[in-house]
Amino acid sequence: MIFSTLEHILTHISFSVVSIVITIHFLNLFLLVDEVVGLYDSSEKGMIVTFFCITGLLVTRWVYSGHFPLSDLYESLIFLSWGFSLIHMVSYFKLKIKKRKNNLSAITAPSAIFTQGFATSGLLTKMHQSAILAPALQSQWLMMHVSMMVLGYAALLCGSLLSVALLVITFRKAIKIIGKNNNLLNQSFSFGEIQYMNERSNVLLNTYFLSSKNYYRYQLTQQLDRWSYRIISLGFIFLTIGILSGAVWANEAWGSYWNWDPKETWAFITWTVFAIYLHTRTNKNFEGVNSALVASMGFLIIWICYFGVNLLGIGLHSYGSFTLTSN
Amino acid sequence: METLLNPSKTPFLLVPKTHFFKPSLLHSSFNPRPHTPFTRRPLSVAIICKLKTSQGRKNDGKNNNISKKILLSDSAPELSNEEGKAKAESGGGAWRVIRKLPRKVLSVLSNLPLAIGEMFTIAALMALGTAIDQGEAPEYYFQKYPEDNPVLGFFTWRWVLTLGFDHMFSSPIFLGTLVLLGTSLMACTYTTQIPLVKVARRWSFLQSADSIRKQEFSDTLTRASVKDLGVILMGAGYEVFLKGPSLYAFKGLAGRFAPIGVHLAMLLIMGGATLSATGSFRGSVTVPQGLNFVMGDVLGPTGFLSTPTDAFNTEVHVNKFYMDYYDSGEVSQFHTDLSLFDMNGKELMRKTLSVNDPLRYGGITIYQTDWSFSALQILKDDEGPFNLAMAPLTVNGDKKLFGTFLPVADTDSPDVKGISMLARDLQSIVLYDKQGKFVGVRRPNSKLPIEIDGTKIVIVDAIGSSGLDLKTDPGVPTVYAGFGALMLTTCISFLSHSQIWALQDGTTVFVGGKTNRAKAEFPDEMNYLLDQVPEIVESPISKQPGSIGG
Repeated sequence: MIFSTLEHILTHISFSVVSIVITIHFLNLFLLVDEVVGLYDSSEKGMIVTFFCITGLLVTRWVYSGHFPLSDLYESLIFLSWGFSLIHMVSYFKLKIKKRKNNLSAITAPSAIFTQGFATSGLLTKMHQSAILAPALQSQWLMMHVSMMVLGYAALLCGSLLSVALLVITFRKAIKIIGKNNNLLNQSFSFGEIQYMNERSNVLLNTYFLSSKNYYRYQLTQQLDRWSYRIISLGFIFLTIGILSGAVWANEAWGSYWNWDPKETWAFITWTVFAIYLHTRTNKNFEGVNSALVASMGFLIIWICYFGVNLLGIGLHSYGSFTLTSN
Repeated sequence: METLLNPSKTPFLLVPKTHFFKPSLLHSSFNPRPHTPFTRRPLSVAIICKLKTSQGRKNDGKNNNISKKILLSDSAPELSNEEGKAKAESGGGAWRVIRKLPRKVLSVLSNLPLAIGEMFTIAALMALGTAIDQGEAPEYYFQKYPEDNPVLGFFTWRWVLTLGFDHMFSSPIFLGTLVLLGTSLMACTYTTQIPLVKVARRWSFLQSADSIRKQEFSDTLTRASVKDLGVILMGAGYEVFLKGPSLYAFKGLAGRFAPIGVHLAMLLIMGGATLSATGSFRGSVTVPQGLNFVMGDVLGPTGFLSTPTDAFNTEVHVNKFYMDYYDSGEVSQFHTDLSLFDMNGKELMRKTLSVNDPLRYGGITIYQTDWSFSALQILKDDEGPFNLAMAPLTVNGDKKLFGTFLPVADTDSPDVKGISMLARDLQSIVLYDKQGKFVGVRRPNSKLPIEIDGTKIVIVDAIGSSGLDLKTDPGVPTVYAGFGALMLTTCISFLSHSQIWALQDGTTVFVGGKTNRAKAEFPDEMNYLLDQVPEIVESPISKQPGSIGG
């Protein structure tokens, strides 16, 4: 009884804190209260509080139910939002050492709240109770496989959202500036712009750097590009380990390591798409916009893999299935 | 800051430069370098995987252009020499064509856009394979994708059946694309990644300050010594090489080799999977408690390489099948107690299987995958025991339901009435009378009688049957090795290979560096390290390293 109330409290605290943090960020955006350092600090502290709340929530669930808290869709969603807040914490502390502002929180905080919100919403109330594990799930592999997969999803989602952000920033002004292509050589610009101009494939970026304020946009897109690459590489590693441990588990439990189950197949498709992303990054011509397009496709594919297949509820992975009728 | 720029190159850059730098920076972390990037572009492309550029055409299958990467200055003459030599080696006309063919094929196969296209195709085919129901009878496809009302306007069952989409994952199209990807992997590994190993291990010194300043990140330390820089770098985990006034340091070389390992691991997995597909045996059987079967009877081959072994002659006897339950009544685990006997009746092995805990013997693995209800043993009016076979019933919503029927009236009449017994698991049996009304629930252990329509029934035992899957798979060790290698090498390829060059010119040290992956963090890391290089303050008496300076 204590545990379930504790769980309840922690869920609600984390949800409310994250909503406050996001409100603060929106205020930053529209009212430019960024200079009020205290506000920014409090939003960062809010995210730290959220992280500890969600950790506490997961630990409570683990202790209460006796099994690792990753056996159905509700628990994996909570784990996913934990993954987002973890990424936020890591990037916050890394950037704090270099005394830079954490731009990543614009992505991680809303992601955490949306997944948390969906999980705690009325759609999945049936699953809030800790359920007992089916025989097939009673294995040590559960911890490794599912946690790696969900962490991989969290990192890949962050990375692909950063790429989407890059695309949005790139394409906002490109349409207006296409006409001014001819004037480029007479204008003054920095080294980075020359480099981009020589990218033969990235025609759209050629048209873009005309004035000094575009320099900051260029810096931002470059930062987004590099961060996206690193985070997606990390997510790719987790996804690889997750898929392979799942295959080994399947071999131990059912006798064959790959069954072309819809969920397995879609996880493999996700893996392939991000492998394509990593390969496009090897070529300097494809860096930037083109690889960001691939990563954006990856965003959709992760959601199909994670959610879409579960909605169908077929195959060996039917543990995560649910019907959208609210009880 | 003026020393950073080379005014001779691009004069129009001078004006906006100072405008961009924020005064808070101690020394510049973002250093726009005026240089012509064009010479560098195709070089870095050729390193990772070959692209069909006009430069690439000359060097089909050759490794020479890669050497340009490290020795930034002058390897062009080298290039043409090697090419000329190679051409002179091949003999007559026809022989030359034949000799060139594998090289041409290799260069085509190791083309990066081709590989990306193949990966896209595979992803699309797999997605299609999940959208179309697999393995159904042709009539199903006639119905689902009719010709008079095609899906998406053109997709009919003809498409599905001729292209093999009904068994997508073993269809020629899919397997063919996989084979193509495999050959591309092999070609790319051979032509670009292996030469990369040779090149990256070579360390080279840059002899001119200009070439150092051309790096992605570069900086100038006035009044410093390369030796101090070397010491700082060594402390940060770099391997440092000093030759006179110039220095070369690198870190994370494993990050360059790891992608090769990834490709090799993938080839290993593909090979192992092929072996599994062509050389394994599998079968499944549902055995009631107390009965036995011979392994060889149950196992069927999957491909042309499957050859049975001696272990196939083992007899498997199911001693007991039982299930564990949670307090709420749900099934927690099912167990089968198995004994293995050889053809002479000697017991070879005895083990209790459960889900996630298979039995392994002689290369054959037995998995507990399913269970069923075989028979219900009852006493009727203290006579018996009679075994009533239980049949599976499909009712909406119930996962498993079994039922049996005990006729009480005349069995020859067409409208036989009797007692029905239903069960969801081996724990409790629900009994219904002649009219189908619920009478009661009995557990097999209790031995309590129940009175239905004048007949006394005692449930003696619920005999379950165990659903077992048998499998032998020669490819598994290879595939596991590939899995382990893939996991390891993917982790290692996260490391970023950073290279730093430095040159001492008088009291000034020019530092330049680059990294292949951690581009966002590299300038900050470099700034942090360079901050630590002590400044040499010339005092009238002696040189002393001073405080931290830029």
